[in-house]
Amino acid sequence: MADHILSWMTFFPVIGAVVIAFIPKGNKEIVKTVAAAAAAVPLILAVRLFIDFDRNLDGFQFIEHFEWIKTFNIEYHMGVDGLSVPMVLLTAFLSFLCIIASWKIEKATKGYFALFLLLEAGMMGVFCALDFFLFYVFWEVMLLPMYFLIGIWGGPRKEYAAIKFFLYTLAGSVLMLLAMIALYLFTTDPATGQTGTFNMLHMFDQANHTGILTLDNVRFALWMGLFIGFAIKVPIFPFHTWLPDAHVEAPTAVSVILAGVLLKMGTYGILRISYPMLPDQAKAFMIPMAILGAINILYGAFCALAQTDMKKLVAYSSVSHMGYVLLGMSAMTEAGINGAVFQMFNHGTITAMMFLCVGVIYDRAHHREINGFGGLGLQMPLYTTVTSFALFAAIGLPGLSGFVSEAMVFMGAFPVHQTITIISAIGIIIGAAYVLWMLQRVFLGTRNEKYDDIQDINSREMFTLVPIGLVVLFLGIYPMPVLNLMKVSLNSLIAVINVAG
Amino acid sequence: MVIGLNHYLILAAALFLTGAAGVLARRNTLIMLMGVEIMLCSVNIVFAAYSRALGDMSGHVFVIMNFAIAAAEAAIGLAILVAIYRIKRSVNADELNSLKE
Amino acid sequence: MFVNITIPNWSDFAHFVPEAIMFGAFLLALMGDVIVRGRKPVVPFLITLLGALAALYYSFASPPVGDAGVLGSLVMIDSFAGFFRIVFSFVAVVTILFSWSSEEIMGSTREHKGEYYALIALMTGGMMVMAEARDLVMLFMSMELVALTSYVMAGYMRNSLRSTEASLKYVIFGAVSSGIMLFGMSLLFGMTGQMTFVGIRDALVANPVNDLSMLVVLIMIMAGFGYKIAMVPFHFWCPDVYEGAPTPVSAFFSVGPKAAGFALMIRFFFTVFQPIVDTIDWPLMIAILSAVTMTYGNIVAVKQTNVKRLLAYSSIAHVGYLLMGFLLLTPGGLQAILFYLLVYAVMNLGAFMFVSAINNSIKSEELSDYAGLGFRAPWASVMMFIFLVSLVGLPPAAGFIGKLYLFTEVLREGWYWLAIVGVLNSVISLFYYMQIARAMYFEKVPEDAPAVKIAPLHYVTMALLAVPTLILGLYWSEFKAIADQAIAGF
Repeated sequence: MADHILSWMTFFPVIGAVVIAFIPKGNKEIVKTVAAAAAAVPLILAVRLFIDFDRNLDGFQFIEHFEWIKTFNIEYHMGVDGLSVPMVLLTAFLSFLCIIASWKIEKATKGYFALFLLLEAGMMGVFCALDFFLFYVFWEVMLLPMYFLIGIWGGPRKEYAAIKFFLYTLAGSVLMLLAMIALYLFTTDPATGQTGTFNMLHMFDQANHTGILTLDNVRFALWMGLFIGFAIKVPIFPFHTWLPDAHVEAPTAVSVILAGVLLKMGTYGILRISYPMLPDQAKAFMIPMAILGAINILYGAFCALAQTDMKKLVAYSSVSHMGYVLLGMSAMTEAGINGAVFQMFNHGTITAMMFLCVGVIYDRAHHREINGFGGLGLQMPLYTTVTSFALFAAIGLPGLSGFVSEAMVFMGAFPVHQTITIISAIGIIIGAAYVLWMLQRVFLGTRNEKYDDIQDINSREMFTLVPIGLVVLFLGIYPMPVLNLMKVSLNSLIAVINVAG
Repeated sequence: MVIGLNHYLILAAALFLTGAAGVLARRNTLIMLMGVEIMLCSVNIVFAAYSRALGDMSGHVFVIMNFAIAAAEAAIGLAILVAIYRIKRSVNADELNSLKE
Repeated sequence: MFVNITIPNWSDFAHFVPEAIMFGAFLLALMGDVIVRGRKPVVPFLITLLGALAALYYSFASPPVGDAGVLGSLVMIDSFAGFFRIVFSFVAVVTILFSWSSEEIMGSTREHKGEYYALIALMTGGMMVMAEARDLVMLFMSMELVALTSYVMAGYMRNSLRSTEASLKYVIFGAVSSGIMLFGMSLLFGMTGQMTFVGIRDALVANPVNDLSMLVVLIMIMAGFGYKIAMVPFHFWCPDVYEGAPTPVSAFFSVGPKAAGFALMIRFFFTVFQPIVDTIDWPLMIAILSAVTMTYGNIVAVKQTNVKRLLAYSSIAHVGYLLMGFLLLTPGGLQAILFYLLVYAVMNLGAFMFVSAINNSIKSEELSDYAGLGFRAPWASVMMFIFLVSLVGLPPAAGFIGKLYLFTEVLREGWYWLAIVGVLNSVISLFYYMQIARAMYFEKVPEDAPAVKIAPLHYVTMALLAVPTLILGLYWSEFKAIADQAIAGF
């Protein structure tokens, strides 16, 4: 497995899904065990990747490169750099924990776990692909399991949420498709001297762009196509309306994946594809992007303040936190971009914790109304501790990982967009407000006697939450393992942009 | 007056429009089928006229083929009409509305 | 007068083996149906099935080499024709196999059920000839052969009002549009004095005709082709016929005659108009027709509640996509059309077959009766889902690759607005295709839902279509090469 580590990580879950499909009906425990095993292997491989990854090397590592469709110049091309390794780690980590968190799924168990594994494969593929076509295939393949996971196992308005999610993301990705075809048509393959290649590395090199790709207005159109495609995924205001619906209706584990990994694909796409392929446009789009980031931060935070459904609150807090990522990216400084990518990683872990916590209480009380609880701190002490930890991490309490990345984002963005950064900082205060207000209403105050015999968090749930908590705590105290991972790659990305600008 | 190519073409065009009007305006499917046959006849006149004017026999070949096909089409059309009449006792196009949005 | 006409001789028929097999199967099946009487028409079924299989095998094993104009240059046997022989014989094999277990076909009270199989054989032969015609006479004859056969097949359930009504509408619309087309052809003959496509082209290049009359002729001829492929505004028959005809027949119609229409259209327009494509605003005309066709098909499909009708409108939308490849009559665009036709044949046939297989059990094609099918008939539903994904054009299904090639050609030729209209249409289509998926998977199984039993033969045929739908989405080099080869022979 060491030779083709990325392929094994991507396709091992597929093997698991196929095996699950052939397990006879009724063997739910076997299905779950197989699913956990199939998700554990990528996690082990991801740790291996984390150890073996050479932090001082610029460029892609663990490359796998084969011919696929020769006539259309499509290749099977996988590789990782400092930008993708944290995302791969996050995906493997959260997928495994989500399988454990889904242990109580009773409805169509086989289908659920098979689709979940396919989803994991799609996500892994997106983060590893270096061929634009391959990237697009993984990007789209991921939508199908997600559609079903929301639509079959979701809440009361699942059908609406599922199709809305599907339509929004497809609308974005078809624009990306057109941009991809245009890039394909007018990029020269240096090996043959002919135009027409899906190899991202060739597309990165501006010298290979020919024909309409050298025209400014075309480049702007391409940038906008790609940006809207990715913005819908992030989601950036005003394309965010699918997110609260999808989150509220999706089962807990799916929400975790949605917030923890899927949203990162949008910003990952911008950094992986838009920035290096169209650096001049990226530079020109700095200010609008920063403004969009600020809008996301403030709009998300204000909406979160108004929610009475815990899950919706967490969903809007994701919108707000992705705004920090956008703000950091738009600065194009070392601290800004490193902070943005680190924030992507941290938001993945912290939001996952929050959604898992909401899932715990929903399993017991069967509702998520913030005002329906009160004084839970006495009834569920252990649960209260864990949830408070997650919520404080979301605020960005010093000592926890969210603080480091947010601070980096602000430090990176301040010299470039002073006013915008100052306005965005208000988001932190509102963030603290909605989190603390929810904490107060749910865990403190008069106790709701209805929930006197409620069970405290059990050991399986602790098993999913504690590892994430440890990561959050460790990275809050000592963030260097992840920061070192991405520094070299991101700095060379910044250099590319600054040369073009 | 010498009857030339143009006269034949005008006759054909008039026939064609008559046939088309029959199909569009009448609601009796039998008449509609007759309109179609008139349209096919007008085509025959054009082919025959041009064939004569250009001195090329292939137009005549086409006319003969067209006869055969028009006859086959009429036969099938009438057979279907009979089948419909057996079920519905009507051949009015407006009453044939079992298939709709 | 007869200088250039070569008299056909028997050796010409060596080029016609698949067609001869299909026509032979037609005659034998008719005779077999009369001679051997039984509850089920075993003999015609076997004859046509073996015939179609033999034709498929022959088309694969010995594709035409070079380009032979035979029968006094009436037809052209080249790799283009070879490509369509494969497509049509494959479609015939699948349809024949599928119809055997279909209640609509075999359960009807009609006598002489064997005629059905004979007609499929006849139509398949006719479609093959359509792909080979290179002369106005042959163009008309082959189109009418296919059309007349299809009128009869649409009205196959002659005791059913819906079926006969569909057939009557088909006849009237078909006859009118072929009348218009014939009139255009007669004028074209008058302008050029030629019957062969090549002759017409040379005459048009040598003595250019004025643009207006050329446009009139073009539009009249387009009416005939537009009817055959169900292009807006000549599509009115399509939803009615697909809904009224027996489902296996609709399935056959939605891919067979449509592909044949495209084949003939490609050969005719590519040969005749390619040199003068710019003088008649051809690209703009096709771009508008394409955009209107796909948008109309998709938007109307959104509000359908009958799955067969929904698929009918979706097939109109797909014609719009296919027309995108027609823009500049470049080889690349035509190759994309051919590949998409191949993909479309497989996936659309599959979707219709599913509808038919379900209709066998629950006697309904209404979307509301599909509730919970994903749990009542899991394997069939999974296959249907593959077809639907492919029809939307999502990877990893074949439909995505087909669309990818079409969009690539449109962008290469610089028609950006058309490409944007095209992709947005894909998004609209997602909505209604997923309506079917939603009914199958997201809705609860009703208490009184009838059990769904699917015939083994239906599983086999659907798998025969679902597997290629997936394989063509992941590895398609060889198949695309066949399509490329077909155009390269022009």
